[in-house]
Amino acid sequence: MDCKIARDALPLYFDGELDRTASREFEAHLDGCAICRVALIELDALRTTLRQDAPRHTAPQLLRKRLEKFAATQAREGAPIHPRRGGSAPRWLAHAASIALAFGAGGMAVTLWNSPRHASELAQTSMHSQLARDLFASHWRALAAASPVDVISTDRHTVKPWFEGKIGIAPTVHDFAEQGFDLVGGRIDYAGDLRLPVLVYRHGQHLIDVFVLPDTAAMASAATIAESGYRIDPVKIGTQNAAIVSDMDAGEMARFAQLLAAAR
Amino acid sequence: MSRLRGPIGRCRRVTTATSPTLVGELALHHLDAAYNLGRWLLGNEHDAADAVHDAFVRATRAADTYAGGSARAWWLAIVRNCCLARLQSRKREMRHVSLDGTTGDDDGPARSALERLLPHSEADDVEELLDQAQRRARIARALDALPPEFREALILREIEAFSYREIADVLQIPIGTVMSRLARARALLHKTLGGNAASEVTHGL
Repeated sequence: MDCKIARDALPLYFDGELDRTASREFEAHLDGCAICRVALIELDALRTTLRQDAPRHTAPQLLRKRLEKFAATQAREGAPIHPRRGGSAPRWLAHAASIALAFGAGGMAVTLWNSPRHASELAQTSMHSQLARDLFASHWRALAAASPVDVISTDRHTVKPWFEGKIGIAPTVHDFAEQGFDLVGGRIDYAGDLRLPVLVYRHGQHLIDVFVLPDTAAMASAATIAESGYRIDPVKIGTQNAAIVSDMDAGEMARFAQLLAAAR
Repeated sequence: MSRLRGPIGRCRRVTTATSPTLVGELALHHLDAAYNLGRWLLGNEHDAADAVHDAFVRATRAADTYAGGSARAWWLAIVRNCCLARLQSRKREMRHVSLDGTTGDDDGPARSALERLLPHSEADDVEELLDQAQRRARIARALDALPPEFREALILREIEAFSYREIADVLQIPIGTVMSRLARARALLHKTLGGNAASEVTHGL
């Protein structure tokens, strides 16, 4: 890595936005370049100053109480879920919708597959649908991105430790190249606040994301969720909960799920 | 100021449902982040609290517009829009007063910094308190002097530790623009604070 490239990579490295390979290249450059070291120290000093002396303004208790009360009242009155459906949306809703749209690749709308009646059911369903939406959104983002993986490797012995180093989870990684499902690599993605390891496979023209789910975020329903030609299948990798997202047909999805379930 | 405004979106209905209760929980969980952004954008406590309140009401009603991605970025994007709306109406009301400069606290930055500091600090050394208050006032002035679009990106990154993708989602700009704004903001702040920022801090890189 020459100094010019390193200078561009420096803030990315500092902000934790470089993948491991690039970080290592940058660190190798850093060892031999005093100019970049000084620049990095300056960034660090600025951050330390800001975190010490530009303290976060915390929300006043009065405001917090007011909002908690408002939320409680709303919950009691059972605020409508789709208050303005079909009507002319107010301007802020258009704003909010445009923000929300920015998340989904190409602004694809996700339809809910269930319309619950009871509050508890509702909470449950929206949790699931939210997870499903997050997984779809992550898959579509990855498809739209320059590369769907952060660590490129067909070697499971590279992918597994990469996750371990990044998020302290070491999912079981297998390559099913012989069965037609090539391991492409891995990335880390968000579902809500969760950082999930994603194993990426390729089957012919299809890209397959396998989201490794913590026990707390298991897909409650074992049913397939389909949307715009894409599907989510809840699966097990050995005993670990996971979900496959891809545009493969049902038969291929089932075959891949079987391979994963048998993996040890 | 016009550079701050995000694109006014096409109105398209997103048919997803997240319950208002869950949104309420999410918003309360990230209330400090929301308030901090509002405070730095609007310059005073009162407006920040009002803007966050507006945003909370909107978010719970617009729960069904959340379509995946970072939830806190979705919430802060709504907060930011409410802040911008407030800035706009303030501009209309007080056409003769500059918005970017001096409309904040009347007390002057040093005193308000001291007031912010005193109730929270465990230090009992008056000298040290004063010294810290002065440092804080200086940083606050330097941040307030930044163009708002740089200031908000920097606050989200350095104080709230948002990722580039989350900042892009809040500000509704491409990630490349996030990177260039952060770089400009850091360079400007570094220049304003001079070498002092570096010399005041002991670091072990």
